[in-house]
Amino acid sequence: MMMKKKLVPYLLVSPYIIYFLVFVAFPVIFSVILTFNSWNIISPMKFNGINNYIRLFHDQFFLKSLVNTLIFLVIHIPLQIIVALFLAVVLNQHIKFSGFFRAAFFLPVIVSGVVVTIIWQQLYGFDTGLFNRILTALGLGRVGWLIDPAWAMPSIAIMATWKNVGLYIILFLVGLQTVPPHYYEAAELEGANQMQKFFKITLPMINPTIFMVVILSTIGGFSLFIEPYIMTGGGPLNSTLSAVLYIYKQGFFFYNMGYSATLGLFFALLILSVIMIQKKLIEKD
Amino acid sequence: MKKILFYILLTLAALAFLYPFLWMLVASLSPENQIGNLTFIPTSLSFDSYKEMLNKIPIARSLFNSIFVAVCITFGVLVFGSMVGYALARLEFKGRNLIFFIIIFTMTLPFQITLIPQYILMVKFGWVDTYWSLIVPYLMNSLGIIMFRQYFKTLPQDIIDAARIDGCGDLEIIFRILWPNSIPALVTIGILTFMSSWNEVLWPLIVIRNEHLMTMPQLVTLFAVGGAAESQLGVKLAAATLLALPIVLAYLFFQKYFIQSMASTGIKE
Amino acid sequence: MKFRLIKVFMGKEIIVQILLSVVILFSGISCSKQSERNTHNLIYWSSNNTQEIQFAKYTVDEWNKAHGKEKISFQPVPEGQSSEEIILAAVVGKTTPDIYSNMWEGNVEDYARAGVLVALDTLQGFKDFIYQRCDSAVIKEVTSSDGHIYQIPWKINPIMMIYNKNIIQQLGLSEAPKTYSEYFDASKKFRNENTDQNGYVKKWFGYCEVQVTWWQRFFDFYPLYLAASGGAPLIKDDTAAFNNKYAVEVFSFLQNLYKKNYFTKERLSVQQDVFLSSTIASRFTGPWEIAHSEKFKPEGFQYGFSQMPVPDDHKGPVYTYCDPKNIVIFKTCPDPELAWKFIKFMIDKENDLKLLEYTNQLPRRKMLDEDPFFASYFEKNPLMLEFAKQSKYVRGTDPYPHLTEVFDIISQEYEESVVYGKKPPAEAVRDAAKEVNLLYLK
Repeated sequence: MMMKKKLVPYLLVSPYIIYFLVFVAFPVIFSVILTFNSWNIISPMKFNGINNYIRLFHDQFFLKSLVNTLIFLVIHIPLQIIVALFLAVVLNQHIKFSGFFRAAFFLPVIVSGVVVTIIWQQLYGFDTGLFNRILTALGLGRVGWLIDPAWAMPSIAIMATWKNVGLYIILFLVGLQTVPPHYYEAAELEGANQMQKFFKITLPMINPTIFMVVILSTIGGFSLFIEPYIMTGGGPLNSTLSAVLYIYKQGFFFYNMGYSATLGLFFALLILSVIMIQKKLIEKD
Repeated sequence: MKKILFYILLTLAALAFLYPFLWMLVASLSPENQIGNLTFIPTSLSFDSYKEMLNKIPIARSLFNSIFVAVCITFGVLVFGSMVGYALARLEFKGRNLIFFIIIFTMTLPFQITLIPQYILMVKFGWVDTYWSLIVPYLMNSLGIIMFRQYFKTLPQDIIDAARIDGCGDLEIIFRILWPNSIPALVTIGILTFMSSWNEVLWPLIVIRNEHLMTMPQLVTLFAVGGAAESQLGVKLAAATLLALPIVLAYLFFQKYFIQSMASTGIKE
Repeated sequence: MKFRLIKVFMGKEIIVQILLSVVILFSGISCSKQSERNTHNLIYWSSNNTQEIQFAKYTVDEWNKAHGKEKISFQPVPEGQSSEEIILAAVVGKTTPDIYSNMWEGNVEDYARAGVLVALDTLQGFKDFIYQRCDSAVIKEVTSSDGHIYQIPWKINPIMMIYNKNIIQQLGLSEAPKTYSEYFDASKKFRNENTDQNGYVKKWFGYCEVQVTWWQRFFDFYPLYLAASGGAPLIKDDTAAFNNKYAVEVFSFLQNLYKKNYFTKERLSVQQDVFLSSTIASRFTGPWEIAHSEKFKPEGFQYGFSQMPVPDDHKGPVYTYCDPKNIVIFKTCPDPELAWKFIKFMIDKENDLKLLEYTNQLPRRKMLDEDPFFASYFEKNPLMLEFAKQSKYVRGTDPYPHLTEVFDIISQEYEESVVYGKKPPAEAVRDAAKEVNLLYLK
């Protein structure tokens, strides 16, 4: 009886342990080993010293991909917070059909990014795309959404905001509902107006939610792949080349397994650092 | 008066989120040469895009593949997740905390580092171009385990004690006692897992090259990017519509559960 | 204690059953790869192009009828992202066929160096056969760096300029433009006639894909470079050989087309077929366009083929790129001599004629346009005769590895300099050459 009791937890947990060793621990270790080698899968591995690291630090495309990710985040995160928070505040009031509106905003969240990208690729079309047709009808000039290197990444950021805002509206709604109503009542008694109520009560109370939105959006931004892959292939002028897309290209177009693993390792460490910094900054508040 | 304006603006906002999908649907049902001018109302209805698309790519097969893979993964995550979650939540054993931290660590580990080595593993196992490579790496989900652990902790000890007195082993406890009492957790984790498996594209692109094993989003992606569509727009939109359809249908019926599930990922933080 | 253990495992029963059935389901669904080998001697993979499948079926049937004891079985290469990916996956997974006929010439060197291909020149009668089929330039092209030959040239699709005959007439030209200046003038005229009151151009004289994907260069830079340089190599002696005036002229030519807005930066290819809708008057393409155009062209639409445009001071024949696909034998083949016998049969004169008839693709053999054996085919297919004449002056790729990356490097410079005008052509070509040299140093 004692033996059974001792064994059972380990039996239950063993599938996870096996999984962890095979699919997490081994890959991480192998990934580090791979960074010191060059390998194209069909020939044997060749020891390469630190050449992959040297190449990484001179790699203008990788640097560009990091800059691109930054551009994406800088546009996407504030836009996301503003739009989602605004719509959440609106929906938080007692309005009819709030279920319908919520469901509408949420629809893009669950649909595959592939579908969203294919649709928006057409909407962004220079001549026949809806957006430019509207702009032309209004007498304004056309925008090279996907063909102007300055606009391409922002266009993807806008699309990503549209796709995910529903999720963050829901999260903000949950956060807003944790604010006790008597806070607002007390503030009204002291003569506070809408703006003051929002900035002095609401915002501080949903800080944790804002923080979570920032973290989730950041992770999403670092994982950007299928949107540039379908929409622009990383162009124009590599302005939409995301880090994951570049890693994929090095690994699965050119089969530079060693170099690709080096990029992956470096990028993963970068992501972890950024998130830790974000956490520290928010905790200070 | 202000209220009407308010509702109009809100409706416009909602439409902004619905219109692109409606456009896609209508465009896929329009003749090819009219798609460029289409705003909303089609001038004529045509199923040609769908017929052509069905000829060009094995979309039905990919639908089956996606469903098969998603079901297997969801099943695995629910089963294994509850096993590990239960052990962590309700059993005392040495190393419990260590395992918990390992799980948290795995959750925060960015996939970019394991991508290449996992592919190489698939090559070495001979799993490239098989269902194994699509399913096995996803059978464990750290988030799922954490959620199960959280949920099982909230269940009263008495039902477990009662089951033990009846002579139940731990597995029976999990599946015959805890599961019926954990429907919200099962639904949430089930939906999240199914959805993320359904929408996963990068991994299938890496491990599957054979068209007959491709998942639906993968097939549609390659169709949109490659030359098989012969530059025709309608067929690509038809493929995209079919890709969106299953999830949208599920969403229309189970909206509440979808929204609740995704909201709870945030709450957990 | 025993009973308690049994109770623990009883709960597992259901799960084990389910797992077992899943495993069985897996094994059943995953394709069985080995069954082919038991019934036939050799496995041959053809491309999965419908007409090529028909041709393969025909040749394999004919062979099997005559060689009862040495049958060949064929299957089209599995459908996937691209046949290159499938072959690579097969090499990696050690599930290669014995014979493969759709190998892009540019990939062969990588596979040869990895040691997975049979050196064909060691097989009986190879040297005689190849000297009979091809001229010395072609043989040099397919000879690997170690002196062996790992591929036999099979078929080509030369890149030429398709043009809209009606538009050429409308522009008052007697023939399609042949030089850069003529091309410019035609482009300018056509653009000016097709600009609306807001200054937006509705139609263009030509179009090149603006996406930077490495193989797009087969349809712009590379054929133009070969045309301008008389078939000069890109790589020689493990270094870039294209840092010359020809590459710079090509870059200049294309850059000016974009600068002056004679070419659009918009990705036209995500819309409908723009050549057949007369949105563009010409593009650089291959013989496969004929079948496509005949299928989809509107009433009254007339088109023809012409050579790639060349610099104004060009002398001599106009070369182009021919996208060669060749036949290889993988080392996993149990009987290379038998495989070679089948290949010889598959590409003899009679079957080359059948190749033309079934697939409208040119066999890569010398004097194709003058050989009376093929005359009747070209009488029935005059457009193909243009390509046959061009096939005297074509190049494939240089026998070096990493060509995918080479073309990618060129594509990056191409985008920056040609499409976006951010770099002078000479500098772009020089930078590309530098990068390529770094690549070969590794």
